[in-house]
Amino acid sequence: MLPLTIPFLATIGLATLGYFLGRSRAISVAGRDMRVLNALPHQHGLNTCFSTLLPPLAVMLVWALAARIASRKGVMLAPENPTLVYIILIGLAVAGLGLSMMKISRDFRARNASERWIMGLLIFASTVAILTTVGIVLSMVSETLNFFGQYDWKAFFFGTTWSPSFSGRGGDSQLGIIPLLWGTLYISFIALAFAVPVGLFAAIYLSEYASPRLRSIAKPMIEILAGIPTIVYGLFALLTVGPLLRDVFAEPLGLGDSASSVMTAGLVMGVMLIPFVSSLSDDIINAVPQAMRDGSLGLGATQSETIRQVIVPAALPGIVGAVLLAASRAIGETMIVVLGAGAAARLSLNPFEAMTTVTAKIVSQLTGDTDFGSPETLVAFALGLTLFAITLGLNVLALYIVRKYREQYE
Amino acid sequence: MKDINLAERAVTMNDIKIAAKGVQVYYADTHAIKDVNVEIEDKTVTAFIGPSGCGKSTFLRTLNRMNDTIDICRVEGDIRIDGEDIYDPKVDPVQLRAKVGMVFQKPNPFPKSIYDNVAYGPKIHGLARNKADLDEIVEKALRRGAIWDEVKDRLHAPGTGLSGGQQQRLCIARAVATEPEVLLMDEPCSALDPIATAQVEELIDELRQSYSVVIVTHSMQQAARVSQKTAFFHLGNLVEFGETDKIFTNPEDPRTESYISGRIG
Repeated sequence: MLPLTIPFLATIGLATLGYFLGRSRAISVAGRDMRVLNALPHQHGLNTCFSTLLPPLAVMLVWALAARIASRKGVMLAPENPTLVYIILIGLAVAGLGLSMMKISRDFRARNASERWIMGLLIFASTVAILTTVGIVLSMVSETLNFFGQYDWKAFFFGTTWSPSFSGRGGDSQLGIIPLLWGTLYISFIALAFAVPVGLFAAIYLSEYASPRLRSIAKPMIEILAGIPTIVYGLFALLTVGPLLRDVFAEPLGLGDSASSVMTAGLVMGVMLIPFVSSLSDDIINAVPQAMRDGSLGLGATQSETIRQVIVPAALPGIVGAVLLAASRAIGETMIVVLGAGAAARLSLNPFEAMTTVTAKIVSQLTGDTDFGSPETLVAFALGLTLFAITLGLNVLALYIVRKYREQYE
Repeated sequence: MKDINLAERAVTMNDIKIAAKGVQVYYADTHAIKDVNVEIEDKTVTAFIGPSGCGKSTFLRTLNRMNDTIDICRVEGDIRIDGEDIYDPKVDPVQLRAKVGMVFQKPNPFPKSIYDNVAYGPKIHGLARNKADLDEIVEKALRRGAIWDEVKDRLHAPGTGLSGGQQQRLCIARAVATEPEVLLMDEPCSALDPIATAQVEELIDELRQSYSVVIVTHSMQQAARVSQKTAFFHLGNLVEFGETDKIFTNPEDPRTESYISGRIG
């Protein structure tokens, strides 16, 4: 990679200078009467600043990308003389500065020009976000294809056994995703079964019944839950909830003697999800117009009838959105599962048995001494892509449901 | 001469439906309603007029205890409907509101179908024994709301899809469906165009056959068109209350005269 620090800093310096130069030149061109200028001095300054800053930045970015792609193909794209590059880049900045300074006159429409530069900047920012997403997906896809070159896809998607071998000899690994998906869905289901009612009822209480003072205390308290790092939840699952569930439920009922279990991870994950569900639902319920409440109460409905029959249906699209967002979080959650659910890939209905999830297995496949050519490692990408496809599908479903209700009700 | 007049009055006089004595309403420290005494008759349209912020809507909302939903609001005094004190601790405001229906300023149909909007009250109060009963109640209410012909073919379309005037008539039908004895209307036409307003006014006149209607309005023409009795509120006081004709042609209080001739308000 080319060291671009010096031209980068120089460009920024020139651009800052350009702003002040452009502004003062505009003021001097205007003379005594500001109104003869077609644009404000500030806009002239901005135009000069962006004209100086953006062309060299764009060149640097394209250059860096090209160098990266070239180095992957084995070609070094480094010029013999870095000074030449400095001169080109800084020259570009100076040229931009000079040209835009020359353009400043009473009739120059700097207002429109600076607006166009700003729009360009915004387009650039959104492009970065989109391209990053596309890049992540593409790299996942290419590694996944690599994996399927070495391992049969039917065995991956329909295999019911997960037992990778790390002896270095491929072939005797069985990499079926079904037990991992089962664990993921089972744990997520328990988490949501716990978090959705608790979170929704808490939201209803806070928005409909609680006094403003109680609300102002209780809402931040619940939101603190969202700020706890998941590793702390994991510890809580490992040291408190797991042994408790084992001693109180699993052993007396004869359902197993493992502290790490689907139930442990599911309940703790449910606690983690409560603030997501309650905070979003609370905002949505508050957004239901007061006129709806008045209308229902004015007909002689009680408060709970009003909530059940008017407010919740009106807020339903948003609540469904909140629940599906929580579901995406549950499916993608890793730390709680690693510490709370155990590491055994197993297909079982017993919630007190240890199981594991897709995310936990991605971690375990990629930690330690890894050889990025073997199917045991590459399977992580296939797992990741599958997970991504599931959460994407869930989000699309959420959007679809929300739109459908909107059309029906508004 | 005087005696004859009195005799005529007695004939047109209906029973007193709502009697309010010494009503005071406070919002936290603001004294919003000051010592209001009024007697509202059955099968009569009573209009509350007055400039913005004079307390007419607040007073209307005390009549079905909708003010209970506002935390800082406090009501004192004595309000009786059919002789029963509605602020008695034994009275359930939910029951009261079933008896005293309300139509709001902005049409507020629920995000449900037209049918479900009207069926909402009857279902809650258990007025229908079966589906056929409910269908009948809904049809009757929609006919009373003068909207049946417009919606009979799309009862299961969302109520929010109707035009503003239709929505307001739907809300009136919804209020009528619970068979209230009193109907309170808080500026029911302020969000409507002139044609929809005319339809709603016509409807109010018909509703007078069966209910005691109390309407808050900003439009003096509307009060003159639809009401038999008019109450003029100013700065939280009930300034004058009497026959609508008299209030508009020969008001006793100089403030009333200033308001109806457009000098204050």
